[in-house]
Amino acid sequence: MADLKTSITRRSFLRSSALAGGGLMISFSWLSAFKSPDTMAPELADWAELTGYVKITPDNIIKILNPNPEFGQNVMTSLPMIVAEELDADWKQVLVEMGPHDNVKLGPQFTGGSNSVRMYWKPLREAGAAARQMLIEAASQSWAVPAAEITTKAGILYHQKTGKQATYGSLATKASAIAIPKGMKLKDAKEFKVVKSSIKNVEGKKIVTGEPLFGLDYHVEGMLIAMIEHPPAFGMKLKSFDASEALKMPGIKDVFTQKLYEDGFEQGGFDTRTFNDLLVVVGSNTWQVMKARKKLKVEWEPAGEYKDIIAARGQKREVVVPAELESTEAQLKKMQEWSAKPAPQLRKDGEPEAAFKNAAQVIERTYNAPFLAHNCMEPMNFFAHVTDDKALVAGPLQAPGWSEPTLAKLLNLPADKIEIQMTRMGGGFGRRAYGQYLYEAALISKKVKAPIKLVYSREDDMTYGIYRPMYTATYRAALDANKKLIGFHVNGGGIPEHAIHANRFPAGTVDNYLAEGWAIPSNITIGAFRAPRSNFNAAAEQSFLDELAEAMGKDPIDLRLELLQKGKESPVGQNNDYDAERYAGVLKLVREKSGWGKAENKKYSRGVAAYFCHNSYAAHVVDIVMKNGQPYVERVFSAIDCGIVVNPDAAINMVQGAVVDGIGNAFYGGLTHKEGRAVQNNFHAYRIIRMNEAPKKIEVHFVQNDIDPTGLGEPPFPPVFGAVANALFKATGQRLYQQPYAPQLNKRRAF
Amino acid sequence: MKKYIIVLAGIVTIVALLSFSLKDQPISDANDSFHKDSIASVNAFKDVYKVLISPRCMNCHPSGDVPLQGDDSHLHTMLPQRGKDGKGINSMKCGNCHQATPMEGLNQPPAHPDWHLPPADMKMVFEGKTPGQLAKQLVNPKTNGGKTMKQLMEHADDGLVKIGWDMGEGRTAPPISHAEFKKAWIRWIETGAYAPKDK
Amino acid sequence: MITLSINKKTYNVDVDPETPLLWVLRDELGLVGTKYGCGLAQCGACTVHLNGEAVRSCVTKVSRAVGQEVVTIEGLSEKGDHPVQKAWLEIDVAQCGYCQTGQIMSAVVLLKANKNPTDADIDAAMAGNICRCGTYLRIRDAIKLAAQIERKEA
Repeated sequence: MADLKTSITRRSFLRSSALAGGGLMISFSWLSAFKSPDTMAPELADWAELTGYVKITPDNIIKILNPNPEFGQNVMTSLPMIVAEELDADWKQVLVEMGPHDNVKLGPQFTGGSNSVRMYWKPLREAGAAARQMLIEAASQSWAVPAAEITTKAGILYHQKTGKQATYGSLATKASAIAIPKGMKLKDAKEFKVVKSSIKNVEGKKIVTGEPLFGLDYHVEGMLIAMIEHPPAFGMKLKSFDASEALKMPGIKDVFTQKLYEDGFEQGGFDTRTFNDLLVVVGSNTWQVMKARKKLKVEWEPAGEYKDIIAARGQKREVVVPAELESTEAQLKKMQEWSAKPAPQLRKDGEPEAAFKNAAQVIERTYNAPFLAHNCMEPMNFFAHVTDDKALVAGPLQAPGWSEPTLAKLLNLPADKIEIQMTRMGGGFGRRAYGQYLYEAALISKKVKAPIKLVYSREDDMTYGIYRPMYTATYRAALDANKKLIGFHVNGGGIPEHAIHANRFPAGTVDNYLAEGWAIPSNITIGAFRAPRSNFNAAAEQSFLDELAEAMGKDPIDLRLELLQKGKESPVGQNNDYDAERYAGVLKLVREKSGWGKAENKKYSRGVAAYFCHNSYAAHVVDIVMKNGQPYVERVFSAIDCGIVVNPDAAINMVQGAVVDGIGNAFYGGLTHKEGRAVQNNFHAYRIIRMNEAPKKIEVHFVQNDIDPTGLGEPPFPPVFGAVANALFKATGQRLYQQPYAPQLNKRRAF
Repeated sequence: MKKYIIVLAGIVTIVALLSFSLKDQPISDANDSFHKDSIASVNAFKDVYKVLISPRCMNCHPSGDVPLQGDDSHLHTMLPQRGKDGKGINSMKCGNCHQATPMEGLNQPPAHPDWHLPPADMKMVFEGKTPGQLAKQLVNPKTNGGKTMKQLMEHADDGLVKIGWDMGEGRTAPPISHAEFKKAWIRWIETGAYAPKDK
Repeated sequence: MITLSINKKTYNVDVDPETPLLWVLRDELGLVGTKYGCGLAQCGACTVHLNGEAVRSCVTKVSRAVGQEVVTIEGLSEKGDHPVQKAWLEIDVAQCGYCQTGQIMSAVVLLKANKNPTDADIDAAMAGNICRCGTYLRIRDAIKLAAQIERKEA
C-alpha cells in the first residue's frame, strides 16, 4: 500500500426541479478528479457525476439526505448541517434521511480516511447556497423588490422596507422554476449559525429506544439465516465434511460449500479474502444455525501456498500467499531477523551514515506491536436477496461503491441491477471497508434462492478478521558531543506491511535522515484499522522522541517545538507531508491547557505525544495515577487542529472516544496466533477497555481557525499510544517497547 | 461411611516430632465420636487443600471483593463486586450471567442456581491462605459460616462445591476427583480436623 | 409452546426451551433493540430486565423467563422518555449506538438501587457493558443527569 498525496479537487454543478405536489428539489452534480486520501480510496477515479438532494415542501419541511455511511462518526447530523447552514434553514424544520447508494448522484459515499466532512464540505455548501439564492429570487419576483434587499433567517425570507416575510416552503415551488445561480458567494465562517454549533445526533431517539437501525436488525419475511464455518487457522482449508447430523437439527435447510472467488478472479483493492472455500449452514433462525454448526464434522487440511490476483488502481499484480501456519513467537523472531537485513530505502536526506559514524552517542530502540482485531460491537453481517435478474443487499458497509463492481462480477449482474442499502453500522474502524462478508451473503442467497442474512458470531468476527498488521520499528538517533541531534534513522517492517510514513515528522527537521521499510508476506489477512500505520508510528516514534528528549536533557515538548521550528524555517528535503506551524500549534495549545510543568500537576505522571495524519493535527497530555496498585489514566488533555469544527459537541465526543479507544488498545489490545489459530476469540480473552478503566476527564480543545475542515475520526487516535507509554514511564520508571502494555505492568493479576 | 482409625501408641510423641500444631484445635460435638489421628488428618488435608486452592474453588473465595477467573486466577473481567450477600450489586449480580444450567460451548459462564461468593460478613477467603490458616478457618464456626463438624462434612456434597468439577468446557477441574476430595475431606474431619503447622 | 411476558404483553413462541432469550427476542418477536455482541455475557449489549435484574439475555435460556417479567429497551418507557433515555439524549452519548440499549438497561438497574451514584458506583455497576467507541465518560455524565432528573420527577 503506497502512500498517495492527499488532495481532492472537483467541479460541481447544480440542478433544480419541482417536487411532485409542489416544492423545490435542489440537486448538485459533481464532476471530479479525485485523488485518494491516504490509502482508503483507491478506486474512485470512475465516479464522475454526483448529485445530492435538498427538498423543501410547501409546509416548510426541509429534507436533507445524508450521502455517507454512518458508523458513529455522526455524519447523519454533521453533513446535513453543512447544507442547512448555507440554506439558512431552521434546523428544527430539517428532516434527515439516509441516502441510497448512488455514487453518481450522491458522491463518493465512503466512510474512511477521516474524509466524510472534508470531501463533502464544499459541494454541500454550494447546494445549500444555491437553494437559498433561488428562494430569494422567487421572493424578489413575488414581492417586486430587489433580490439584494431580501434577507433570510431560519427558513424565512424577509424584506425589511416593506415588512414582507414568507417561509421557504411557501415559495419553494416558484423557486424551483428559477435557473440555478452560478458562482454564489458562500458564507464567511464568521457568519455560521448552524455549522460550529452543537447539534444533537438526529438518530439519538432511535438509538435509545432500540429501533431497528443496524444491519443485524434487518429483517424481511421468509428470510433465512446463514453462517459460515471457517477453517480454525490461517493457512488451512476445508478438506471434507459430514453434515448428516447438522441437517437433522431443527430448522436447518441446507449445508453446502461455496467458493468465494473462482480461480483467477481479479480482486479489487478492498476485496481481501480470508478464506475462499466456505462451508455454509443455512437455517430458519440464528440459534438453530449456531447449534447446527456444532454438529458438523469437518476435516481441515493445510491450504498450501496460493496466489491472489489484485487488480486495483489500474494495475494488476499477483500476490503469493505463503503456506506457513504462523505463530506469534516465530513472527517476532522473524521480524527481528529481517530488521537486521538491508532494507529498501524510502527517503534519505544528507549523509545519515556519516552522522551515525561520527556521533558521540547513538540511541537505538526497537518497538513492536501485535495484530489488532477491530471488534466492532456489531459483528459482521449482511442481508442479501439475489434473484436471476437483480440483487438487493443491505447492511453495514463503509464503502458500497468499492464493493459494487466486485459484486456485479461475482453475481454476473449489471451494476444497475444491484441495490446496496446502507444501514447504520455498529462500529467500523476500517473493517467494513472490505466487502468479503457482503459477497459471501450474496453468493449464499444466490445459491439457496432465498433472502438470507449472513451472521458472523463474535468468534467468527474475531478469528476470521482483516486485522491491523503486526509491526516493528527500530529508531536510531545520532547525537554529537553537545547532545545536538545530527542524524535520525528509522527502519520499519511488518507482517505483511510496514508502517513507515517516510515524509512525516521528524523528516524535514533533521539534516541527516534515513527511512527504510520492509514487509514479510503472510497468510493472515490485514487491512485498515483506525488510522492505518499511523496508529503504530505514533506509538513508536513518539515514545522514542520522549527518550531522545531525556537523553538530550530537554523537555519533550520543547524538543518537538525546536525541531518543528527548523521544519518551518529551513525544512530539509522536498516532500515533507505536514505543516510545521499547525503541528507546533497543537503542542503549544496542549501545553497551555494541561498546565504542563505546573506545580499543581505534580501528583500526575504525565506523558505527551503529538501526531499528524489524515490532514489533521492532534496532541495529548496523559495523566496517570496509581489506583489499586495499577497505573490508571485519570485525565487527558487533547488539542486538535482539524480546521473548522462543524459540530463541536459531537466532535468532542469523537475525540474522547478516540482517546478511550487509544488507551484501551495501548494497554490491552492484541491478537496473537498459534499455528495459524487466533488465540483470542471473544471478549473473555481479548480485552476491551471498560468503564472502570476509562479516564475521569478528557478535556478537548480545538485550535480555532477558519481552514476548511479536515479529518477527525482518526487523527486523535494514534498519539494516545505514545502519550500513554511516556506517562507510564514516569509512573513506573519502565520504558515499554512492546504493545500491549498492561501485561508487562502487573503480571500477577492482570487479566 | 465412617472409617475408624486405629490410634497408634505414642501418637503424642509423633505429633511432637512432626511438629503438628494442636493449638487452637477446634473440637466440636460432631467429632467426639471419631478417633482422632493427627497424622491421618493432616495427610488428608493435603488433598483437601490442593482442591480448595485450585482455581475452581479459590476463584470464588478471593482475598478481595472481586472474584477471580480462569485457570490463572486473574481478576474476573468487568470486576463484579461481592456485595453484601455475596450475590453481586445492583446491575452486576452473579445471576445475571451465571445461570441455573449452563449454555453449551466454550467459555460460557459456569452455571449453578445459587452462584455467589461468600457474603461480606463471612468472606471465607481461600486465596493466599496457608494450609494451617485455611484448616483453622474451615473448622471455626465463626469463620466457616457457623457450621458444625457434621454440617461441614455434609458441605462436601453442597451443589456449589460439586459444581467445581462441572464448570464446562475448557476449565481445568480440581486436581483430584470429587469422590477423592470427599473422601479426603471426611477423613480430615473424622480424624480430628487437624490443622497442619505452617512453616 | 412457551408463554412469555415481555413489556407487559403476553407472547406465545414455539421454540426450543434452551434457546437464549436474546434470539427469541430478536428472531422470533422482532424486538431487536436488544443486541447480540458476544454470546458469552462479556459485553452487556444484550442486557434486559428479568424481574428487575440486568440479565444478559445471550446466556439466559428462554425457559428461565417463563412466568417472569421481562422488560426490554422497547418496553422501558412508552414514549422513549424514561429519565435515563432523556439523559442519554441530553448528553448526546452515542457514537455508533450499538451498545447503548444495553448500557441504558444496566444504568436503570443501578439507579433503582442507588439514587445518587458516585463515579466509583458507576464504575462498579457499568464495567459489564463494553462500548467499543469509548463513550464511557458521557455514560457516566448521563447516569448522573438521569439521577437528577429522577429526583426532580419524584
